[in-house]
Amino acid sequence: MDAITALALSVDNPVLKAVGLLIDNAYFYAALIVALVLLGENRNDRRLRILATLVVVIVLGAAIKETLAHPRPCAGVSGCPADYSFPSLHASAAFALMIAFLNRKAYPLYLLFALFISFTRLNTGVHVFADIAGGLAVALVGYYAVDLVWRSGGRDVHGA
Amino acid sequence: MSMERETGRQLFHLALGVAALLLLLHFGRGFMIAVVFFTIIIGTLLMNIQLLGGRIPLVQWFEEQFERPEARLPGWGSAFYALGVLVLLTFLTDTDSIAASILVLGLADALSNIVGRKGKLRLPYNRNKTAEGSTVFFLSSLSAWYFVGPAAIPLALVATIAESFPGLEDNLTIPIACALFFLVT
Repeated sequence: MDAITALALSVDNPVLKAVGLLIDNAYFYAALIVALVLLGENRNDRRLRILATLVVVIVLGAAIKETLAHPRPCAGVSGCPADYSFPSLHASAAFALMIAFLNRKAYPLYLLFALFISFTRLNTGVHVFADIAGGLAVALVGYYAVDLVWRSGGRDVHGA
Repeated sequence: MSMERETGRQLFHLALGVAALLLLLHFGRGFMIAVVFFTIIIGTLLMNIQLLGGRIPLVQWFEEQFERPEARLPGWGSAFYALGVLVLLTFLTDTDSIAASILVLGLADALSNIVGRKGKLRLPYNRNKTAEGSTVFFLSSLSAWYFVGPAAIPLALVATIAESFPGLEDNLTIPIACALFFLVT
């Protein structure tokens, strides 16, 4: 196990664990992400673009998960998610959200949110650090892909 | 963009590639993933400061020396380079495959750009690229032989096609093509 994953796993705080388990719930996490989009952006065209980016990133990440089929570090342990490990879809979504606010004053908050989500995924033992870093890569590639399509469609929304 | 500035930019990319390669071989994949991950995180924070009108002298000097003036955002080219390396480090697990791909991204792309700008034979599907540049790209990609043996030949071919693709960031298309090549073969 890498040092960053080991360090995150060593943090034994019941509140953090509880928050990590709450975030692990896909419905709660999806609602949280959508709420952060709506709170952070008030223009509907920009909201649409961010949500489109999130959908692309999740679909891309899920496809990569199924294709590469990396087992979870917690495989075999009770409560471990049934799907594969790489990349972390939670981290992918958080990083995609973060990068959508690159030109905003609120960016550091979205960055901290993404890092916190990443930490909870390591702290609950469902991912290793390479999954988180892969999530960042998938988020940025997905963002770039949507940006290309959006621009080719003539919708020049200069987000980031 | 002046020839000198673009050459400086390519030599900088070459130096980054060599540094990434040496760090990978010395410290291993896990260490490199952490380095590149946090480099991107800190880099985006600096981009955010620049976009909001803040000025960091060192970052501005860096931009003036190594970024294309027409770049969409401050640090655009470097960000894609770092992202390309992160794609390789996270999607591939074999150190030799990663090293071969970094060599293609760092060495072949830089050399082909330096030579290609002096070339005369434009590619029919991408007028911004020349046959001379693509030839240098292919030949210098064969240096990946050191890490992956004969697989360097199809790797060089795939990467050359990816590099010549129009309208896309080659700092990203090259590593994606290399990663796909090693994942499929």
